[in-house]
Amino acid sequence: MSDRLRLDQAAKILLGVWMAGIVVAMFLVVPQYVGLGDAGRIIILHVPTAWITTVAFAVSAVYSIRYLWKRRASDDAGAVAAAEAGFLFCALATVSGMWFANIVWGTPWNWDPRETTILILLLIYAAYFALRSALDDVERRRRLSAVYNLFAAVTMPFLLFVAPRMAESTLHPNCAFIQGSHCDGIWLELNGARVGQLGDVVLALQGIEQRGDLAVAQVEVRMPGLREVALLTPSFELSSGKPADRPEFPGQQFLLAVEGVDLTNGRVLLNMEAPGTGLLSNSRTFWTFMAANIGFLGLFIWLYRLRADVLLLQDRLARREVAYELPA
Amino acid sequence: MNFLLEPAIAIYTALAVALTVWIGIFIFLWRIDSATRELRRRLDEEAPAEPPAAPRATLETRNGHTRETVSVTDSQK
Repeated sequence: MSDRLRLDQAAKILLGVWMAGIVVAMFLVVPQYVGLGDAGRIIILHVPTAWITTVAFAVSAVYSIRYLWKRRASDDAGAVAAAEAGFLFCALATVSGMWFANIVWGTPWNWDPRETTILILLLIYAAYFALRSALDDVERRRRLSAVYNLFAAVTMPFLLFVAPRMAESTLHPNCAFIQGSHCDGIWLELNGARVGQLGDVVLALQGIEQRGDLAVAQVEVRMPGLREVALLTPSFELSSGKPADRPEFPGQQFLLAVEGVDLTNGRVLLNMEAPGTGLLSNSRTFWTFMAANIGFLGLFIWLYRLRADVLLLQDRLARREVAYELPA
Repeated sequence: MNFLLEPAIAIYTALAVALTVWIGIFIFLWRIDSATRELRRRLDEEAPAEPPAAPRATLETRNGHTRETVSVTDSQK
């Protein structure tokens, strides 16, 4: 066994152990999240797979450029293999997102901007595979699919990063894109501006109370369609400087959070958040999440290289059969 | 089997299922990886140094008599 092969095998075993560690950490190290319970753990699978999707499609596009430049079969195999792996990770991100949505938002599919754009991306790459299988001539198939792949790759950043941000509102955690929220939140004071507005929700600060390490705010909420005034009590952990309990707005999927407290002057910073906001502020969740990103990247590299190898071998075997085939 | 879904146990059940799925995927990939490597090694070993020749037939005429010489490939000459 050569040194390179030995190193290759060791890397794969390390990846196996690493990913097993992430699975264990996902269930036993990542804490439950207030308002989400165990559903919050899905972030360890959902977000890294979505990130690896972008990496995979970008790698596929690079191979396609190389193919169009040098016309090597190995570049075409690399492009297909990376696109297939990207498609797999994209499907995983979609399914894990639907799972989360079913638990937290009450239905697996909400036509949220991100859900819609990732579905379009899946369809674009499904068309890439359909195009490949529709062309019999090998050279033509490789050339046309490489060109198509470049167009598909151009749409990818738009669909994943631009389009969801152009939407007015999303259920995904992101302060700038939740209708009514502000990235900076609003400060309310007991001895000054007690009343403020987040979108069409009117908030009135009724009091601030310190309970041990927690500062608990009493906030009166008035919303369109809400007959009675609701009183919510979001809290803030003073030692860590992070929001603690985030109650839901009545009849809505968004949460009210205290993002800052000034007990001396009786001020609180309030904001509207989507479920899942602030998940990564917990260090155990954050490091498990980062480890998952590395693990999924390693898994992608293994998967696409293996698939490219299989495709090249299939090609060699097909050529070998033709070469040895004698006329009847 | 219902005890596996009890709140205190459910997290360990989910962990066991997820771990089993990962181990299954890892073994599957490992086996494909090994098979691919072995197949590539065999193909490399049996690959001829030169590309296989096309079958050929030669027709010779000696003293007015036709004689056919057929060789299937160059390697059989």
